[in-house]
Amino acid sequence: MSDMSGKMDATSEDQAEVLLRQLLHLKKYEVPEASRMIKSKQNIMRQVREASSRKRWSLGDLLEVNVPWFFAEPRYGVALLFVVFAGLQFWGASSRNQTQDMTGIYTPGSNVASFERISTISTNSISYPKLPDNYQLFPDAPRGDSSVKFVGRLEEKK
Amino acid sequence: MADDVNPKPGEVPEADGGIPDADLVFKAQQGDMQAFDELVERYHGKIYGLTYNMTSNREDAEDLTQEVFVKAFNALPRFKGNSSFYTWLYRIAVNKTINYRKKRNRKRALSLDQFDQEIKTDDIYHDLTAKGSPLRNLSLTELQKKLNEALQSLSEKHRTVVVMHDMQGIPHEEIAKVVGASVGTVRSRLFYARRQMQAELTEFMK
Repeated sequence: MSDMSGKMDATSEDQAEVLLRQLLHLKKYEVPEASRMIKSKQNIMRQVREASSRKRWSLGDLLEVNVPWFFAEPRYGVALLFVVFAGLQFWGASSRNQTQDMTGIYTPGSNVASFERISTISTNSISYPKLPDNYQLFPDAPRGDSSVKFVGRLEEKK
Repeated sequence: MADDVNPKPGEVPEADGGIPDADLVFKAQQGDMQAFDELVERYHGKIYGLTYNMTSNREDAEDLTQEVFVKAFNALPRFKGNSSFYTWLYRIAVNKTINYRKKRNRKRALSLDQFDQEIKTDDIYHDLTAKGSPLRNLSLTELQKKLNEALQSLSEKHRTVVVMHDMQGIPHEEIAKVVGASVGTVRSRLFYARRQMQAELTEFMK
């Protein structure tokens, strides 16, 4: 008996569901007036064009539009940043060397500033005399001081 | 039907052989207004259908449809293509419609579109109005009013799934992406919503 009533309930539920589906199906026939839809589309495009003419592109927007992969794939963006950083380091280092190489003394010559390499300029500096290899910088410890004794030179091991 | 308000299940406009959505979106992102115009042409009917069925008010639906497309245009530079344009646009439309109704904080009077005359050639309509059917004594206008009232009695989240699934034929998986819930949640909301609508329409169900 309970089986029977259960089946009847299930059937009435199914029927209700089918009826609801049929009713919802009818809603597909509710259609807007074509003229209103055309007007609506025109309004959208007018608003969009207005928005477009007012729009000021920020740097972020421009970057996102022109290099979207940079933002879509952050790992490539990070890799590119690393390459740029390394490039800048290399460029900075080489330009520093170049600047050092170009260091010189500017001498007034016939009213025109000129540049001369430092190696080409003669200086008045006194060159140190060449010392013998076994030149002793300090004399032996004074006599009577037994705590310090000269024991000879350290020979370089071969 | 005049405009593609309620698409057939699983129908994807770009499958018609037109330019793929992704290409149009890319062009629109570069500032090509013609491309955005094409996207509006492609999805206007669907978005109107969604907002109309969500509000049962054609003036509100028109306003919302316009707002959705303008918002989509403004947000286009931030569209990364992680989901399809169709899903992204639907997400904007659903959120806009829910917020719009929250702001109004009251039920608006129904303002319904006319039934297309083609309905009279529909087999289901014939079944429903045939002798012995509980709806035989109901006029089309009354039927439409009752149906929309039952729909509006649902909560926003339940109405969203009924409209998207039962009226627009969007699959559960796609609805889940749009509403940001699991497929199981979508199914359960749909089940509950149908039950509630049946209860609302109980006088016709006898």
